[in-house]
Amino acid sequence: MAEKIIAYRFDQVDQTLSQLNKEDCTIIAGGTDVMVLYKSRRGVPPKITKPIVFIDHLNELKQVYKKGKDLHIGACCTYSDLLNDPLIPTPLKNAIKTIAAPAIRNRGTLGGNICNASPAGDTLPLLYVYNAKLVLRSVSGVRIVAISDFIQGVRRVDRKSNEILAEIILPSELEEGAYAVFEKVGNRNADAIAKVGFAGYIRTNGEVIKDIRFAFGAVGPTMVRSVDIEKKLIGKTIPLAGADIAQVLSAFDKIIKPIDDQRSTARYRKTVALNLLRYFLSRKQYQHN
Amino acid sequence: MITFTLNGRKVETDAPPSARLLDVIRDEYLLIGTKEGCGEGECGACSIFVNNLLQNSCLIPIGSIEGAEIVTIEGIMESDQFKILDESYSEAGGVQCGYCIPGMVMASAALLAQNPHPSEAEIREGISGNLCRCTGYNMIVDAINLAAKKGDGLWQKK
Repeated sequence: MAEKIIAYRFDQVDQTLSQLNKEDCTIIAGGTDVMVLYKSRRGVPPKITKPIVFIDHLNELKQVYKKGKDLHIGACCTYSDLLNDPLIPTPLKNAIKTIAAPAIRNRGTLGGNICNASPAGDTLPLLYVYNAKLVLRSVSGVRIVAISDFIQGVRRVDRKSNEILAEIILPSELEEGAYAVFEKVGNRNADAIAKVGFAGYIRTNGEVIKDIRFAFGAVGPTMVRSVDIEKKLIGKTIPLAGADIAQVLSAFDKIIKPIDDQRSTARYRKTVALNLLRYFLSRKQYQHN
Repeated sequence: MITFTLNGRKVETDAPPSARLLDVIRDEYLLIGTKEGCGEGECGACSIFVNNLLQNSCLIPIGSIEGAEIVTIEGIMESDQFKILDESYSEAGGVQCGYCIPGMVMASAALLAQNPHPSEAEIREGISGNLCRCTGYNMIVDAINLAAKKGDGLWQKK
């Protein structure tokens, strides 16, 4: 007889947090990653060694609301919840539409995509260019961290064992003159894990670039973003000069270090990543969204 | 003990909390219409409804569905909607080996309940999480199209 699997499913976030403060647990929201990670053979329950804490039923973690200039998104909102919510920005909806297929979108959560910290996490490039902040809750209170600090490596995040990711904070509306876009390259439209993901953000005043950001997914252990390279473009005018574009491409050429794996090759990934960036930078105008 | 509704009936299981809903419905309740294909959420053969939403039962730990309403392919077989789908899949030649079909029918029913008059692109999106290695999908798309027409007015009914 296998060892007994312990699981908790509390009615309140507070009870959940006190349990997490007592013991280290595996947190399951949608479970679409965890159940695959610990999969056993047919008929045998996944081997999850730590006690399980289910959180996907907690309404407190499924709220979407505006507070000042911020949009707070409950970590346990499923992708389908977000697609149906009028407050969610269109570029994020477009990114979500590229994730998996309807059945998984009815189950997988935004918080889960972040905490799973896959190098190919579909929502991550866009969350990076939005400068998303994460609200972590524990018995000791609330801690807010930038997503780029939270995600530290492949499946490695700065979550203490007594914390849960409760909310994701995005700007509620893009500033005047801002444009954001997400692109995903995969083997097929549905259920594909990205070979390359790209998110771009630009804010212009007339033709002058006021702010510009890029993030690449699936081309390194975490999302690749460089604030230093971005800064060099601020103050330039669009359309950008060929020399400026070439300079940015060559800077990213040095820091994008993809690998070969079953989904793609390093060479293909780098070529496509740089092509997506070139395409984004070569546009003559950016429609505010 | 985990309590939930399975095809309209209240049931209780003492399966371990991480057990897959797929295994529980097949092994404990002997509802074997729901199939296992990939076991990783990529093929849709195990599609069921959880609180009326299409989901992959291979990815659902039983401990998370306390109080939920689960409906499997067996649970919709008496409905008028199923009869229309059944006829349409037969007429369009949408079934060959049949292994993907319970999942495909669940996805079709979920799509039509949400969108009774889908375009071809919407049909393809609706079944995008369901793999069929026989038909090449065209006959399945035809079947869903046919079901939308034949069952006009029926789909939005609960």
